[in-house]
Amino acid sequence: MAELRRILHIEDDPSIQAVTKLALEAIGGYEVLSCSSGAQALEEVERFAPDFILLDVMMPGMDGPETLARLRERIDLQRIPVTFMTAKVQPGEIEHLRKLGARDVIVKPFDPMRLPEQIRSIWAAGR
Amino acid sequence: MESPQASPASPPATSQPRELSRLAALLRYEILDTPEEADFDDFTELAARLCGTPIALISLVDERRQWFKSRVGLEVSETPREISFCTHTILGQEIFEVADARQDPRFRQNPLVTGDPHIRFYAGTPLTSPDGHNLGTLCVIDRQPRQLTAEQRDTLERLARQVIRLFEQRLLARRHAEQAALQQAILDSASSAVLVTRPDGIVSSVNPTAERLLGYSEQALLGHPLTSALFQPQALQRRAAILSSELGVPVEADFAVLIAPLHQGRREMSEWRLRHHNGSEVPVLLGVTAIRDEQERLRGYLVNAYDLAYQEQLQLRLQQIAAQVPGMLFQFHWRPDGAGGFPYVSEGIEQTYGLSPAQLASSFAPIYARVHTTDRAQLLAGIRQAANSLTPWHSEHRVEHPRKGLIWVEAHAKPLRQPDGSILWHGFVTDITARKAEQLELDKQQEMNRRLLEALSEAVIACDADGCLTLFNDRAKQWHGADTAPISPADWARHYRLYQPDGVTPLQAEQIPLMRALHGEHVSDHEMVLLGQDAPRYVLTNADPLYTSDGQPMGAVAVMHDITERKRIERLQREFISTVSHELRTPLTSITGALTLICSEVMGEVPTQLRELLEIARQNSQRLSALIDDLLDMDKLHAGQMRFDLIRQPLRPLLEQALHSNQSYAEQHGVRLHVGECPPVQVDVDAMRLHQVLSNLLSNAAKFSPPGERVDLSAEFGDARVRVSVRDQGPGIAAEFHERVFQKFAQADSSDSRPQGGTGLGLAISKELVERMGGRIGFDSEPGQGACFWFELPCSERPVAASESQP
Repeated sequence: MAELRRILHIEDDPSIQAVTKLALEAIGGYEVLSCSSGAQALEEVERFAPDFILLDVMMPGMDGPETLARLRERIDLQRIPVTFMTAKVQPGEIEHLRKLGARDVIVKPFDPMRLPEQIRSIWAAGR
Repeated sequence: MESPQASPASPPATSQPRELSRLAALLRYEILDTPEEADFDDFTELAARLCGTPIALISLVDERRQWFKSRVGLEVSETPREISFCTHTILGQEIFEVADARQDPRFRQNPLVTGDPHIRFYAGTPLTSPDGHNLGTLCVIDRQPRQLTAEQRDTLERLARQVIRLFEQRLLARRHAEQAALQQAILDSASSAVLVTRPDGIVSSVNPTAERLLGYSEQALLGHPLTSALFQPQALQRRAAILSSELGVPVEADFAVLIAPLHQGRREMSEWRLRHHNGSEVPVLLGVTAIRDEQERLRGYLVNAYDLAYQEQLQLRLQQIAAQVPGMLFQFHWRPDGAGGFPYVSEGIEQTYGLSPAQLASSFAPIYARVHTTDRAQLLAGIRQAANSLTPWHSEHRVEHPRKGLIWVEAHAKPLRQPDGSILWHGFVTDITARKAEQLELDKQQEMNRRLLEALSEAVIACDADGCLTLFNDRAKQWHGADTAPISPADWARHYRLYQPDGVTPLQAEQIPLMRALHGEHVSDHEMVLLGQDAPRYVLTNADPLYTSDGQPMGAVAVMHDITERKRIERLQREFISTVSHELRTPLTSITGALTLICSEVMGEVPTQLRELLEIARQNSQRLSALIDDLLDMDKLHAGQMRFDLIRQPLRPLLEQALHSNQSYAEQHGVRLHVGECPPVQVDVDAMRLHQVLSNLLSNAAKFSPPGERVDLSAEFGDARVRVSVRDQGPGIAAEFHERVFQKFAQADSSDSRPQGGTGLGLAISKELVERMGGRIGFDSEPGQGACFWFELPCSERPVAASESQP
């Protein structure tokens, strides 16, 4: 059983990017690569070889679902679970996002202290 | 008409008109074919004897025969006219004599000569009526030739005159008998009572009407003095005194009272009260006529009595009826010369014109003078028009009433043309001042209502009980782009383009507020969309059924209020809040996250003083996040975008979970949370939303409790509901705040300056959430006694008994 070490975080907002990275690295002890757009993530994903991908839904240009579809062409989503982060939780949206291939959905605003644990349990559930 | 016989023995033809009037004269005596009478037989017997002949006849000649009223010496009662000797006699004025018929060429071949009775001698004298017609003959006949002496001839002529006199007498007697029978019949059948007296006043005849009227039989009155039998002495005396002074001659208080005026050349009718056989009084109108014979001799008196009881009764009845009629009844007689009068006016005229009936007997002027001057011309024109067309007349006019002032009256009458060209009107007049005032008031009211309707910014529509649209005010016409159309309710939605609030689903007929109101429903704040010519118009409609004063359905009315602008503003507000909230959330997420990380000292130790400030910043950024979450929840609830996944589940674990997640918050306030009684029931709820509600109530309770106190969470079952209560020991809720507890931002409006935290949306959202799950929320609170917030959820299932729930 592989170990969760490397997390790819795709988020356009630099503040959230920073807080998330800090929480996951400082508290969770993970190695985090932050990407500011879907396009950048597609460039980096194979080289970085993440164990887990955290993906923002609302992004300018290529949004979360589209980025997910493009990621699916390059990596095995069964092996590398993708979890969305979204502020907008409309009825049925979580189901919709899961159907797109996401492992789970984390709702913003998130508690940075609990985030590493949340991700770990999602990752563990998929094993 | 028969032609004369052309026989040698025939007499010369007589002139036809003369013969016809002779036959008429003969028939007038009504004697042909009557039985034998001794009076006539005496004359034939005398004639035969005096002339010494075996045969004598009274022969009457009609158009086809001679018929013998009396005969001596002859068996046959008649012979044909053409062979008769008498036919010759009646052509002349004197005796016609044939000495020997066999020698006479006119009669030689006559069968009466050649055969039975073998006439040889004939002498006849005409029976001439007073008007000169020869009706027949008195004749003598012998079977031997002979001649009458001059004396015999003279005797025969005298006898003939006596026979004619006998004819006349007989006729007269018959006429008299008929006359008497006729008179009796008239008397018997007269509708008035008739009593006949002798000249001295003794009753000689009484007709049946009089018998009935007075109660006496004719027999009982015959031979009695009329006045003493039927009249009251006092009345006779009073009348006698009056007459004595009027006529200037003394009049006795007896029968003379009745006849004195007559003998003074006065024919008069007088009213009397006669004594009925049973003692009662009979009011009558009496007329007396003298009966005189041809010689003008007084033979008696005819006393006519007209029954006035019936008249009096009618009069009384009319008076009584008229007294019950509001207003006046009248009969108006209008003569061709324009003059008029009122033969009858009821007492009600005082009420309508302030006049008395007596003032109007012969003139229309007093009424006319009372009519308001401006209404007079129209009144007269109306009467003339009705008189000319003989159609019913109706008028409303004003009257200057001396007692009531200016009043309105209404008159109806029907004209009847009389034979003399005058017109008789029958009608009534009533005071309609009150009705008129009501009418004017009503008109004013209606005008007011109309203006009000047009001034309204709302659209008003109404229909009658049959669903016919009766009213669109200007606004309604404008909004619908149409006026009321005669269409059935089933077509309203299509014709007026009524849609559901979504603007695309047509309204069903039974959903239309006016239709629902027509079915008796009270409709309030029904939202729908009108698609007129312009953009969709959102309206809120209130509708109510209309009833008449006696509770009969009369239709319905609907008032539509345009909320298009409000909807637009609301939408903009929501969009604004939604946008702003989303935009706020992202930076807040970073701020909160950053502060949380710093405060956790993961990055390194934070100096104590700085740490306190950072903690304040962290808590307030979290509070800001909660506010934004609440705002978004509220928005979702209002937009109908919040989904509820109602799942049947046990209640107790939900309560325990809520307690658990709020425990740490409570601890911050030094308050203990406690779960008390909870029946083992299941509820249909969205666990996440129920959790939200419970968290809100528990955090509120903790927040408002003094440190060291306890907050009790419990549930009880009853009446198909389960009630969940959160009870605290705080200061309770001020009475003036009760109404606003569940309003948005209610806390922000509170005068309570104590910093309590919270967004002010929690209870408003909780209320919405509970109601969306089919429940209701409320609270009980006495200031100083703490507060108990509760919500109830439907729960048809009875709680399982404790023993059964044990495994």
